[in-house]
Amino acid sequence: MASSSTPKYISNSLENSSSKRTLKDGTNWEQNEEIPRLPGETRVTDKDVIYMCPFNGPVKGRVYITNYRLYLRSVENDPVVILNVPLGVISRIEKMGGASSRGENSYGLDITCKDMRNLRFALKQEGHSRRDIFEVLTKYAFPQSHNMLFFAFVNEEKFPENGWMVYNPMSEYRRQGLPNERWRVTFINEHYGLCDTYPSLLVVPYNATDEDLKKVAAFRSRNRIPVLSWIHPETQAVIMRCSQPLVGMSGKRNKDDERYLDVIREANGQISKLTIYDARPNVNAVANKATGGGYEGEDAYPNAELFFLDIHNIHVMRESLKKLKDIVYPNVEESHWLSSLESTHWLEHIKLVLTGAIQVADKVSSGRSSVLVHCSDGWDRTAQLTSLAMLMLDSYYRTIEGFEVLVQKEWIGFGHKFASRIGHGDKNHADADRSPIFLQFIDCVWQMSKQFPTAFEFNEQFLITILDHLYSCRFGTFLYNSELLREKEKVTEKTLSLWSLINSEKSKYTNPFYSKELNRALYPVASMRHLELWVNYYIRWNPRIRQQQPNPVEQRYMELLALRDDYIRRLEELQITNNSKISNSSASSTSPSQMVSQVQTHF
Amino acid sequence: MEFSELIKTATVENVLLWRPGLAAPVRGTLCITSHHLLLSSCPRGDLELWLLIRNVDAVEKRVSGSSGTITLRCKDLKVLQLEIPGMEQCLNIASSIEALSSVDSVMMMYPFFYRPPSLRLEQGWHQFPLGRFFQRLCSQTSQWRLSTVNRDFSACPSYPEAVIVPAAVSDDTVIKAARFRQGGRFPVLSYFHPRNGTALLRSSQPLTGHNRRRCREDEKILGTILDEGERGFIIDTRSAQAAKQARMSGGGTEPKSSYPQWRRIHRALERGRPLQESFIRLVEACSDPSLSMDRWLARLDSSRWLSHIKAALSTACLAAQCLDREDSKVLVHGAEGTDTTLLVTALAQLILDPSCRSLQGFQGLLEREWIQAGHPFQLRCAHSASSHVRGKQEAPIFLLFLDCVWQLSRQFPFSLEFGEELLLTLFDNAYASAYGTFLCNNEKERRLCKVKESTHSLWVWLNQPEEKHKYLNPLYSHNPLVIWPSVEPQSIQLWQGLFLRWIRPSQHLDEAWQEIQRLVEGNNNWSKESTGKRLSQTLPDTTAGTENGK
Repeated sequence: MASSSTPKYISNSLENSSSKRTLKDGTNWEQNEEIPRLPGETRVTDKDVIYMCPFNGPVKGRVYITNYRLYLRSVENDPVVILNVPLGVISRIEKMGGASSRGENSYGLDITCKDMRNLRFALKQEGHSRRDIFEVLTKYAFPQSHNMLFFAFVNEEKFPENGWMVYNPMSEYRRQGLPNERWRVTFINEHYGLCDTYPSLLVVPYNATDEDLKKVAAFRSRNRIPVLSWIHPETQAVIMRCSQPLVGMSGKRNKDDERYLDVIREANGQISKLTIYDARPNVNAVANKATGGGYEGEDAYPNAELFFLDIHNIHVMRESLKKLKDIVYPNVEESHWLSSLESTHWLEHIKLVLTGAIQVADKVSSGRSSVLVHCSDGWDRTAQLTSLAMLMLDSYYRTIEGFEVLVQKEWIGFGHKFASRIGHGDKNHADADRSPIFLQFIDCVWQMSKQFPTAFEFNEQFLITILDHLYSCRFGTFLYNSELLREKEKVTEKTLSLWSLINSEKSKYTNPFYSKELNRALYPVASMRHLELWVNYYIRWNPRIRQQQPNPVEQRYMELLALRDDYIRRLEELQITNNSKISNSSASSTSPSQMVSQVQTHF
Repeated sequence: MEFSELIKTATVENVLLWRPGLAAPVRGTLCITSHHLLLSSCPRGDLELWLLIRNVDAVEKRVSGSSGTITLRCKDLKVLQLEIPGMEQCLNIASSIEALSSVDSVMMMYPFFYRPPSLRLEQGWHQFPLGRFFQRLCSQTSQWRLSTVNRDFSACPSYPEAVIVPAAVSDDTVIKAARFRQGGRFPVLSYFHPRNGTALLRSSQPLTGHNRRRCREDEKILGTILDEGERGFIIDTRSAQAAKQARMSGGGTEPKSSYPQWRRIHRALERGRPLQESFIRLVEACSDPSLSMDRWLARLDSSRWLSHIKAALSTACLAAQCLDREDSKVLVHGAEGTDTTLLVTALAQLILDPSCRSLQGFQGLLEREWIQAGHPFQLRCAHSASSHVRGKQEAPIFLLFLDCVWQLSRQFPFSLEFGEELLLTLFDNAYASAYGTFLCNNEKERRLCKVKESTHSLWVWLNQPEEKHKYLNPLYSHNPLVIWPSVEPQSIQLWQGLFLRWIRPSQHLDEAWQEIQRLVEGNNNWSKESTGKRLSQTLPDTTAGTENGK
């Protein structure tokens, strides 16, 4: 900087390393190759462009398009600027400027991404230079709209672990102690005849016959009958999930549904009322009657009490995230940052979801009462509530594998419409079905992990990796809307699971401060004061925000993991010596692993 | 004055104590001593509260029928409520606490009476002599010398006895230059950057006044530092307009014409009453009892506390950048040179100098750049956020500094050897302490009050092996680099550990803490082979009061 100008401190302006990007997706990259490639990935085209970097200004480079990614490498900058974007992340490609538009770099492509960023490339104006690249991009970014396969079906990667083996519904129910004398496993949905968005294996009250279930299905939206998600090992109270009852304007009733809910209540010998949590705001639930839906009225269900949790629908969430993107990308709102953050209502929605989940968990655990959770269709807000409540109540889900099971069970298995919500390979970016419901769930998990730094086996990178591959289409895990469709497309045979990638390199995703605590309920504080914006995810593209850790954090975490194992071993030895010295010492009642990892977290 | 005159009622039975938000109230006997409020639970006596009365910021009383409730708002932001049977008792207790907490004679304060068995008086007060700092400097440069011009505090009453000045400048010149700076705070060396030999200086504003007075000696001091053609930066922590206005009251800035090689940059940092108001608004927002509080972020925003953090950090980064990247010498001052000036110079050193980031180094930095440099702790920290006294002198500049350090530790989790616990302890002790370290406003006053002869040093207490480990960051690994923080608003977080310390249901964190203590105890037990000795019994006098067994 010339000394004649007044110096100004801009975060990270001093470190050019901001544009250096390591490849986090674990692709093998032979140094003699121009771009990294996955097995099964093929080059389609490449072109000289100018990348209009919103942080560092225009960057001359060459962009390479494969059937999996868009890869840009700068030609003049030192260090080299690299962009590595899976095509699945793209939600919209637009042409900007025309052949005659004036102004430097005004002609090119504008790409909107699903992961909180936009990319802009300027091209030469002469000779329709962008036509072919636009067509190639559109084709490979939106394979569904062009009758092409997702990259996941072409991917030839090999992993030592097989992620498809992580979740087996039967063994998960067995882990919960099911079936037992009060709950049975039913195969009534084996061929998805009862409900085409449910998994094939369901757990229902022992005292309800398959005939009963069919009658109940007729009264529940999309036949999504109340089924068991989780059972409390001590109180035997259960979390049930379903869709709204088809009450309608006329206030229809269904004796079978009413009896079925009573059977659920009685299944754990409960005398008090069954608690129903309707995730929606009261008014929305009422409004749903107009379209044939509704909620469980007091008259029809005298043995149940109903609470509304005031969580808004998918459209409200979509708009809220859109507003959030507006204030964080490309430039962050500087003045009144907190007020503008508040006006997006994003954290408020997070708060409501967490509050709802806490109520569910608390009812089951302290209230010793079974609960039934639903919203309208029971695949968005319901999935958020049941899975978060389960995360709070069951420490198994806080391990890496347990969390994979949770996602696989409550989200993928029970038909959260990933295809519609994310729009995998679909060019229709403005579809009203899109909504960041799963992202919101992961955000809630992150908030919990902030409040309980020792309670989760996985780290932040794990959550970010899940979100990255929610869009990437490199794995089959999040493709399609239901188990039925995935079976039809033979997803488990033809694609790889995201869990294969993660479980093959577990240490990368492990929280060094994790201390294994069994059977302990965690209730996060859902007050606005204690919620934070997940900066490392939502604003991660901005080099000024990035945590400027000179030592690579990941490497340090690895060291710490090794250190932790070492400590635990040494402490166990000490513990043995100690116990032999002092008999009946009360101080040694906890396991050494607990002590060590908690020591490290007070900071 | 006798303390006993202030204590109207010394003991009350059957008092109910609770902290809002804390589950179970405790019933017990309340005692008022000269410096402490004690509550011992009855009948078992297993819980004890020791509260340093100096820690009480505001006393609120409400009498209804035959009993009364006293709410104590503490300087460490804790809130305690006492339900006292008997209206008269209640009023007596309240007025006793009020009187005792507002005793303003330094030598009546607790540090002058506190005699822990494990420490000896006059121990450790000279752990961080400027001489040692200077020795290190000598090995790197010969451009600076240690001057004892201020031996009797005559040149500058708020400077320590020894200061570092340019080697080429005589003590006579210094004395004359001192008359040209407010409060006599002539330019002194604050930090020498060994990588490129640049230096960070600090002073107060020059007394140019409306008739644009000049001072050859002052110009000489600043002139000799720079080689011919070399350029230096003056970072003025006031806005250009405020600096101009200061001329009306005799102050001002260094005019270009008299200091041609120096380039002035203005960075307005809030201080004084507006900063105190910001602190008060933030604490109010944090302690709003309604959990479902609306518009929390807007209130946080309008308290402007986080913007002050951002401004302080970016100004410190600017100074660091001038030194490290522009290879230029830097002089920092505002008006008095005892508040925002120190904030900037201390932070800049933390950013640049890895040796300040160790536990010892950080203590040395505090001693050098805050305590000996004459930050008026007694005036600034007389009241905290809850006091009804709206003084002119109170301002949480030191808290702002600690918060900035916390932000650094959050952005660079492995680079500081100390953790949050140390920063909290420093905050607590700056406002109410059993130790003499933060007493008085400068070294001169400390000498007059015989602080070093009659009180204990906080550092000695902290550095005892059994205490020290609490303050260490287990993740620390020495980082020789400059740590450039992000100062974007999204990177600045509310310091929950401080502002929500007593409010957040910290069950999980408490348990983690208990585990640590248990581990510590375990270690002690193993090493001493003496069971049953509780560590907490040896420290009933921590300033904030301990609640054993909680």
